[in-house]
This record gives sequence, C-alpha cells and structure tokens, in this order.
Amino acid sequence: MVHYNFKKIGVVPAAKDFIDIVLSKTQRKTPTVVHKGYAIARIRKFYMRKVKYTQENWHEKLSAILDEFPRVDDIHPFYADLLNVLYDKDHYKLALGQLNMARNLIDKISKDYVRMMKYADSLYRCKTLKKAALGRMCTLMKKQNASLTYLDQVRQHMSRLPSIDPNTRTLLVCGYPNVGKSSFMNKVTRADVEVQPYAFTTKSLFVGHTDYKYLRWQVIDTPGILDRPLEERNTIEMQSITALAHLRACVMYVVDISEQCGYTIKQQASLFHSIKPLFANKPLMVVCNKTDVTAIDSLGADDKELLRGMHSAACEGLEADQMDGIAGDLASIPTMSVLTEDSVSNVKSMACEMLLRSRVEMKLKGKSANEVLNRIHVAMPTPRDSEARPALIPEMVTEMRAKREAGERRKTERDLQEANGGAGVYSADFRKNYMLENDDWKYDIMPEILDGHNVLDFVDPDIEAKLDELEREEEELQRLAEEEGQDAMEDEVSDLEEDEKELLGKIKRRKAKIIETHREKKSAADNAPKVPRKLDKERKSNTRTMRTEMASLGYDPSAAVERARTRSQSRTGRKRQRDKSMDMDTDEQERGRSLSRVDARSMSRGRSQTPGGGIKDLETAKKALKIADKMQFKRNKLAKRGEGDRHIPDLKPKHLLTGKRGIGKTDRR
Amino acid sequence: MPQGDYVELHQKRYGRQMDHEERKRKREAREVKKKSALAQKLIGLKGKMNAKKNFKEKVAMKKTIAQHSERDNKHKAEEKAPDGAVPAYLLDREQTARAKVLSNTIKQKRKEKAGKWEVPLPKVRPVAEDEMFKVLRTGKRMKKSWKRMITKATFVGQGFTRKPPKYERFIRPTGMRMTKAHTTHPELKCTFQLDIIGVKKNPNGNMYSQLGVLTKGTIIEVNVSELGLVTPGGKVVWGKYAQVTNNPENDGCVNAVLLV
Repeated sequence: MVHYNFKKIGVVPAAKDFIDIVLSKTQRKTPTVVHKGYAIARIRKFYMRKVKYTQENWHEKLSAILDEFPRVDDIHPFYADLLNVLYDKDHYKLALGQLNMARNLIDKISKDYVRMMKYADSLYRCKTLKKAALGRMCTLMKKQNASLTYLDQVRQHMSRLPSIDPNTRTLLVCGYPNVGKSSFMNKVTRADVEVQPYAFTTKSLFVGHTDYKYLRWQVIDTPGILDRPLEERNTIEMQSITALAHLRACVMYVVDISEQCGYTIKQQASLFHSIKPLFANKPLMVVCNKTDVTAIDSLGADDKELLRGMHSAACEGLEADQMDGIAGDLASIPTMSVLTEDSVSNVKSMACEMLLRSRVEMKLKGKSANEVLNRIHVAMPTPRDSEARPALIPEMVTEMRAKREAGERRKTERDLQEANGGAGVYSADFRKNYMLENDDWKYDIMPEILDGHNVLDFVDPDIEAKLDELEREEEELQRLAEEEGQDAMEDEVSDLEEDEKELLGKIKRRKAKIIETHREKKSAADNAPKVPRKLDKERKSNTRTMRTEMASLGYDPSAAVERARTRSQSRTGRKRQRDKSMDMDTDEQERGRSLSRVDARSMSRGRSQTPGGGIKDLETAKKALKIADKMQFKRNKLAKRGEGDRHIPDLKPKHLLTGKRGIGKTDRR
Repeated sequence: MPQGDYVELHQKRYGRQMDHEERKRKREAREVKKKSALAQKLIGLKGKMNAKKNFKEKVAMKKTIAQHSERDNKHKAEEKAPDGAVPAYLLDREQTARAKVLSNTIKQKRKEKAGKWEVPLPKVRPVAEDEMFKVLRTGKRMKKSWKRMITKATFVGQGFTRKPPKYERFIRPTGMRMTKAHTTHPELKCTFQLDIIGVKKNPNGNMYSQLGVLTKGTIIEVNVSELGLVTPGGKVVWGKYAQVTNNPENDGCVNAVLLV
C-alpha cells in the first residue's frame, strides 16, 4: 500500500533566487585567488573548475527538482487524474520538460566553454570565457522563471492535498451541494469539515477515518456535483468526478428529502441517473438525509416513485439472495438525520458491510484466493469411538461464566473506590491481601523510623538463625582450641618438670592468642568499631558506662576497664574474656588475667601500628596520610569528584580559526 | 478551504491574537531600520548587489509617484507641424517630386564597384601577428618553428578537410571553430542565430581573410533564409553580410550586426 507523500518535494526557488544560490555557492566553494603570473595551465584549471562546478551545481539542483515531482504517468490513476484536474497535466508536463531542456543546455554550454578554454593563453581570456559561460547559464535560467514559479505553486498546493489511499476500504459520500455530506463526515469521523448554508462550501476532497469491525475505513467527502454535461463542469466538481471514477469504494449517494438544499427530489434523481455510469462495479447506497424535517412517508407519490427507482438501481449490484424483493420496498431505503444523529451509525454500518462483502467477493473471485484455499486443509481427527470428549474447562471458569451470564459482576477495586468517594477521597486497602503467618498481624503498625534511623536498614529476616549459627560456631572453635591445648600438653608432660610445664602451657596459650588475634585482624576488613560512631550519639560506648553497667550486673569491672584502656582496638577479645571468666574456675581466671596482662604489655606496641600497605612504622604512615591529604585538598576545594574529573579546554577553536574572509586577508585572526 | 490548511482554519475560527495589528505595525516600522543597517553592514559584492537592488526600488518608487502626480503636473502644449506642411506663402506652388527610386541592388552594385561600404565599425584595433598566431615547435629536437596555431576564432566551412598534418602550416583548432553567429537586425532590433556562410573580409589583412579568422570588425556572410527577405524582383534573399562586433575568442560566441 503506497502512501503518497507529496510533502517531501523540495522548494523550487524563483529564477532570481536560484541564480543567486548557485553563483554564491560557486564563489564560496571554489578557490578565489589567481594571479597573472601563474603558469597558464594553472590559470586555465582554475577557471575551468569554476565553469564545471557551476554546471554540476545546476545539474544537481535541476535533477533534484525533476526527480521529486511525481510523474503523472507513474502514479495511481486517481492521483494522475486529480493532478490533471487541479494543475492541468499539459502545463505541468511542459514545465518539467522545460527544466529538463534547460538542464541539458547548461551541460552543453559548460562543455563548449571548457573546450574553448583549453586554447586560452592569458588570464584575461580565461576570465572572459568563464564570465561568458556563467552568464549564459544564468540567462537560460532567467527565462525559466515562469516554469519555476508555476512548479512552486503546484508543489505548495500538492503538499496540502489530503492523503487518500486509493487501495484501502473507502466510503465515498456524494450528492448535490448542501445535502448534508460534510455534516455526515463530521458525525462519523473526526474530520472537522466546514458546514455552511451556502453551496460549494466544500471545495476539495476531504478525508476522515472511522472504525468498523476493528478495521480502519476512509471516508471521503466530495464537493457537491451539479447536473451538467461533463464538458461544462468546473474544477471543483471535476474533483468529485475523479474520485468517483477511480476509487474502488462504497458510494453513498445522499438525497435531501426535505429539499432544504434548494434542489427538488426530481433534480436529485436526474443527477443520480446521469452519473450512474460512474457507479459501475461499485457497491452503491442511496441514503435519505434530513428525515427530521420531512419523514419519508410524508412525501408525494411521484417523489416516492423516484426514490424507489434510485433504490432499485442501487440494489442492482447486490446478489440475488440479498435482493429478496427489497428493491421495490420503500421501507428498506436507508434514512438518517445527521442533525439529530438519528441512525447515522446504522447507515455507516450498512455501507461498510456492503463494501466488505463486495471486497471479499472480489478476493474470492481472484486467483490468489483459490491458490490459498487449495493449500489450506483443516484436518479433523477421526473419532475412534462414540465417546464425547468436550473441551476441558476448569470449574472456576464455568462458575465465573455462569455468574457473568446471570448478570452478576464481581466487585472490583474500582467499584469500591467509586462507592467510597471517588479517586481523590478513597485510598485502597491493600493490606487485606497480605499473606502472613498469623493473620492478626495484617493491620499491625510497623515503625519505620526509630531513633532517627530506618528500621529496615537493620532488619534481617534470618537474624535469629544467623545469631544461633554464630554462637554455635564460636562454641565449636572454643572447644577445638581447648582440646588442642590439652592434647599438646599431654604429649610432652612426662619429659618436663612442673614449672617448665607451666611455662610451656603459658607459651602455648600466648602463641595461640597471638595467632587468633592476627587472624581476626586479617579477616576484619576495617578495624572500625562494631558499634559505629553515628549510632552512638550519646557517647555511651566508653569505659565509664561499661564500668557502671558491669557494676550494676554484679561483676568487678576494673580488669575489663584496664584492658579496654590498653587495647582500644579489639573488642571481640573482650567478649571472650568475659565468657571465660564466667565459665571457668578461679585459677583459670587468674591465669587468664595474668595472660591478658602479659598480652596487654606486649600487644600494645604492636597494636598501635596501622598494619598493611607496606608501611613499616607510624612516622611513615603519618607522612603518607599527609601527602594524600595535600593531594586531595585542591581538588576538594573545587568540588571535583576525583583526579579524573578534569576540564580540558579548547585552546584553538575551529570555528574561529578556519574559513575564508569575506573581504580582506587572513593574515591574523 | 482545503483540509490541510490548518493555520488558515484556525485563524478563521478563532481570529488572530489580540495585539496582532499592533505587532504588525511595529514590525513594519522596524523594517526601515533593518534595511539601513544592512545597507551599512554589507560590503563587497553583496553590498553592491544590495545597493543596486535598493536603487532599482527607489527609481520605481519615484516613477510611480511621478505617475500619480501626473494629473496635477502642467506641461507645455507643443504644436508640431504635420508632415508635408507648407508655409502660407508657398501654398500656391506645385511640388514636383523628382526623386528617382533606385533599387537596392543597383545601389549595392555601385557600392561594390566603388569598393566602399558603410559599416557599423569603421575602425578596428589592429591585431598583431604574434597575438594572432602561436608558434608551435616541431621536429625531432623540437627546433623547427614554422607551424603556427591560430589563437582566434575561425570559420572553416562545411566541406573543409585539412592538409596533411606534415605540411599544414596554419592550424585551426577544432575548439575555436565557429559555425553560428548571433546577428542583430539593426532596424528590427532583434537577434537571430544564423549560420555563417563564409568570411568576406578581415580588416587585418588578406591572409586572415583567406584563413577565415573571425576578429572584431570582420565582414562575414550569413544565411538569412530564416528572416524571409525578398527582393523587389521576387527572389528570396538567403545570404547577407554582417559585421562581427565582439571578440569571439573572449566570449566564446560570434556577435554580429547585419549590414542593412
């Protein structure tokens, strides 16, 4: 389906502007400097280039115009005829022909002058030859001014033609002026056609689109036609005739039975019969309009006869089975009143049905339908027994269907909304469909913000499980460590003496501790405190509060406080110590304490170093921090995101440093 | 109104914006300033073109104003004497017209005998030989320089075949050969493109006439059958003399004026 788009035709300039365009392009795009002292070949080349360039330019622009304008012989006959009616095919072809000839002549001129320039032996001669060549081309185009202006007017008008697709489903509305065709269009489609009491309000074809049976239909409104012989018709009427002649559409001949349009039914009938040859092979419908003023039954006998005659002529095109004696029946003539919108949609459906039927018929009659039908075969399985096997429809679906048949409608959320005050007033209760373990929790109020923090940041559905697991793991590890310690001790017990055994145990335990803490440190990605500073607004995690709390619980906090003060880094150790002190007996506790003191003394030095990164001591670490700070200082002041966030200036902008001067030299910029 | 004319349709239905007239008036008033600014700003070729355009407009405007005020202008009433009017004291005499109507052909024959013609360009700038000919070197060592190439436009005639290249002394390049001349009829003031029949005389010398060189002032014979001239005797004139009025090698075409 080709959709003709006449809007893409480029503007055709008037002769004067055209010449200006081409000549100024030559001036800009070719070299401008030549001197008497250059080699003659160079001079010749310079001027020949100008002539050739101008010729190529003209050729290109004229070819573009000639290509873009549609060729009357190559387009759909409807559009060809329409162009003929509107713009006179001969004039149109002549104008294009003139441009074509001009193009060929320009080529010839250029060829001749370039040939002559080969024998020019001075700058003056080359220059005059080039001047003559360009001058001749331009005078040629000046003579084409009339064609160019005509073509531009044609282009402007053509680009505003309504885009009618000649191949799709179309309803064509025709009749005398003022019978109500444009009003019908306005009712049936979204087209906004002017409706006025004077005749020939619609002066050109109008297109609107409507829907029927999920398909798009074109409705074309034509200007009114008068009853005249073809030779006397004016341009406006000829457009309707063209549409009638070429478009395969369902024709709706609108009759004004109230005669308000100023033409009697007799005149309308005579027009109908005179343009009947145009309705050949098209589904035809005679529609009576303005029934709100006069009912069809209140007409005179001869008027009714005329209407019957028209209707029977219209029904001639129908199939025999559809006829059924409706030809003579006045009641079967479709009537409508556009003003009161009475049975307008009926009429439209009737027309669409007629056209659909005829189109389907045509397709079936054609070859391609048979080809497809021959290839299609619907296979039905042969029944193996007489058991009926209907389609399986789930119970819920049948229940729903029964309910819907009965007229019951499920109450939807939207109904609830409307019932309870509308869109702005009612807020839907989405909590009623929550799926929770305990249905009582559905309407519980969950806090979202607690102490200035989002509760959801700290919520974890598996938190209990994770905690249990962690505790179990810890216990495991502890047990293993103890076992290891005991096993190790039992091996060499026999060889050693009492105090040596003690020392050995001490050493072993200390070693184990060292390894343990080292592992912790390694695994800890950051050695930030477990309770971050931001959650500790009241500054409660310090030794003072710990002391008071432990005292309130009934323990002696002094040891813990001392440890905390010396070992400010690690916290898990503290927890472990506490457990140990809770579970073991006193000498273990003492040993633990003494160990901790030993550890405290030796560990403190090591702990104060920041590990990792290849830095060997605190001095260098501090220096490194300082250097990093210094590097970031300037950038942060300028609010840069990082070292990559930099601006690269353009020190030699191209638009300032290139190009020719209009006048003068380009020594400096 | 066609379907696609949305702008006009909107204007028809809702009218223009309320200050439309005001804005239009102000815009037109500003045009004057824009025009003058442009005239001052444009330089070079564009400036000249602009000035020319403005001048034309000015002239046209002045003319229309003069025409409009034509009614109020006063003119001197001139009374011209009609042709053949005779003063009162000679009214009695009879006029004898003794002019002998000589036919054009006789006049031309007399002129030919006398060897004098009245031509539109009586004096023409002489063309020197080195301007007319270009020396071509030939030979194995490119030492011989007896060949000459004609740098001006030439006419060779239809049945022309050149001498064998080894012997031809004057070379008339194909690119410079002209067959048609744009001849103007001095009385009718219109120009036709007529075929050249031959070169009658070149004012620079006989040699050039023989070679068929077309320079400014050359008398050529052109085919005027297109004009449909007829002698008093009833014969059709198909050839007439014309004089070349431009430099064909500079313009690429031959412009000539028909001799009566």
